[in-house]
Amino acid sequence: MRKWVFRIGAVALLVAIAACMMVIGRGHTIYFDNKKLEYEGQTCDTYRRINVFVNGEQVAKLSAKDRGMATFMGQKLSFDIEVTKEKGDDPVTYSYTVNVPYKEDGIILNLPGMIAGLPEEAYTSIFVPMVVEEEDAEEEIVIDEFGMSDGAEGEAAEP
Amino acid sequence: MNNKNKTASSKLLNFLGNNAVPIMFIIIIALCIPISGFSSLFLLNEIVTRLSRNAFLILSLLIPIMAGMGLNFGMTLGAMAAEIALILTSDWQIWGIPGIVLAMIMSIPISIVLGLLCGKILNAAKGREMITSYIISFFMNGVYQLVVLYMMGSIIPIVHTTIKLPRGYGVRASVDLTRIRKALDNVLSVNVGGVIIPVLTLLIIALMCLIIVWFRRTKLGQDMRAVGLDMEVARAAGIDVERTRIISIVISTVLAGIGMVIYLQNMGDMATYSSHSQIGMFCIAALLVGGASVDKASIGNVFLGVILFHTMFILAPKAGAVIAGNEVIGEYFRVFVSYGVITIALVMYETKKRRAKAGMGAQLAAAQQEGER
Repeated sequence: MRKWVFRIGAVALLVAIAACMMVIGRGHTIYFDNKKLEYEGQTCDTYRRINVFVNGEQVAKLSAKDRGMATFMGQKLSFDIEVTKEKGDDPVTYSYTVNVPYKEDGIILNLPGMIAGLPEEAYTSIFVPMVVEEEDAEEEIVIDEFGMSDGAEGEAAEP
Repeated sequence: MNNKNKTASSKLLNFLGNNAVPIMFIIIIALCIPISGFSSLFLLNEIVTRLSRNAFLILSLLIPIMAGMGLNFGMTLGAMAAEIALILTSDWQIWGIPGIVLAMIMSIPISIVLGLLCGKILNAAKGREMITSYIISFFMNGVYQLVVLYMMGSIIPIVHTTIKLPRGYGVRASVDLTRIRKALDNVLSVNVGGVIIPVLTLLIIALMCLIIVWFRRTKLGQDMRAVGLDMEVARAAGIDVERTRIISIVISTVLAGIGMVIYLQNMGDMATYSSHSQIGMFCIAALLVGGASVDKASIGNVFLGVILFHTMFILAPKAGAVIAGNEVIGEYFRVFVSYGVITIALVMYETKKRRAKAGMGAQLAAAQQEGER
């Protein structure tokens, strides 16, 4: 009985650690856009320069129409942005925290929309990677353990 | 005086005979270092990297040797379990240390199942464990290919196109592990005079060594040693020989799985269909180079083996290029040496066994003669 309790306990502990790892280790990519956004008649124009900092480290330096990115683990990202509206203006710093859904690999944040205080659904969108048509439809997988393949299928082996 | 000299020279011969392989390697390395022209800093960095990468995997071989099952070529099964776990964690986008820990945990149940299967088969092939485990690794490689090439993406969900083959199922020949690359090695790593030491990985290896030392003193560890010495005597003493042997293989397979995760996080890239196939061979060769034999291996053999075998790996291509003007010669040399070492070790083991048997026979005959008088 005691042995089984110990075994079940050990399995439960491993499952619990694995579950924790799945939550805290889930990686996401956040894309920061400094692009013009139009939402319900409101236009949010680009900024001359936006610097993005995550944990004090600069991860993106965006001019107008630029996109930058940062990767992180977990479901919540806090970052600071340093915004310069026009040439010669003093930069203004904003701090934000965004929640990223567990199942999404990457989201796009439109920074002008975010700074303008638009609702989350206005400045957030899901990143969909571009599907690249691969020229070689079939990747060659070599699984010939004994090196006995004779090259082309059906071709007779060399003596 | 004469007797003393004889004893000393026989001791020396004995020492040379028992440590022929490491001594041979030390001589080759000593000759290759000046030829290669590598700086000591480069060599030290490479050796530390390879030590942290391989030591855990090689430690997984010690327990079956303790249980008298020889060199566990079946450690490849643990490596396959680790690779399946890493493919899944990569697809689930679990990064960094959590990704490594999750892959280790996920490899455990797969390793246990494969280890149980391997152990049961090895119990049915007592006395031929090494060749049987070698063939099991080929057989399981086929099953692995079936799972990875046909079931992943079709039955087992794989989402990312960077992992999945363009046809919609199967895993690509190479899986990118950049997101966990050196995640373990970089934690607590220190730079000592230009040599980067991955402290956490080395601590994990040290902990594993302590666990092995402790395990040898436990009831199960003692049982394994008894089984390793003589199965019949162990059985007569009430030890469940078959169960003990299976446990030793299961432990070895699980440790090999964890070791493979440590190995691949250091590499940062995984050759899906070939990473595991040579790992058993190289780990066994390294252990034998360290002075271990089929029936006796220690933690010291692991470390000496990794250092000597991998120093050879670093030096051989460059030395080959300098001596013969062609790096490929060096590559041939190191492949020849690694397989040659295994062959020599197996021949030496069989010779020793035969000599011991002959010695016992002679003793028995002498005792009988005395009895007749």
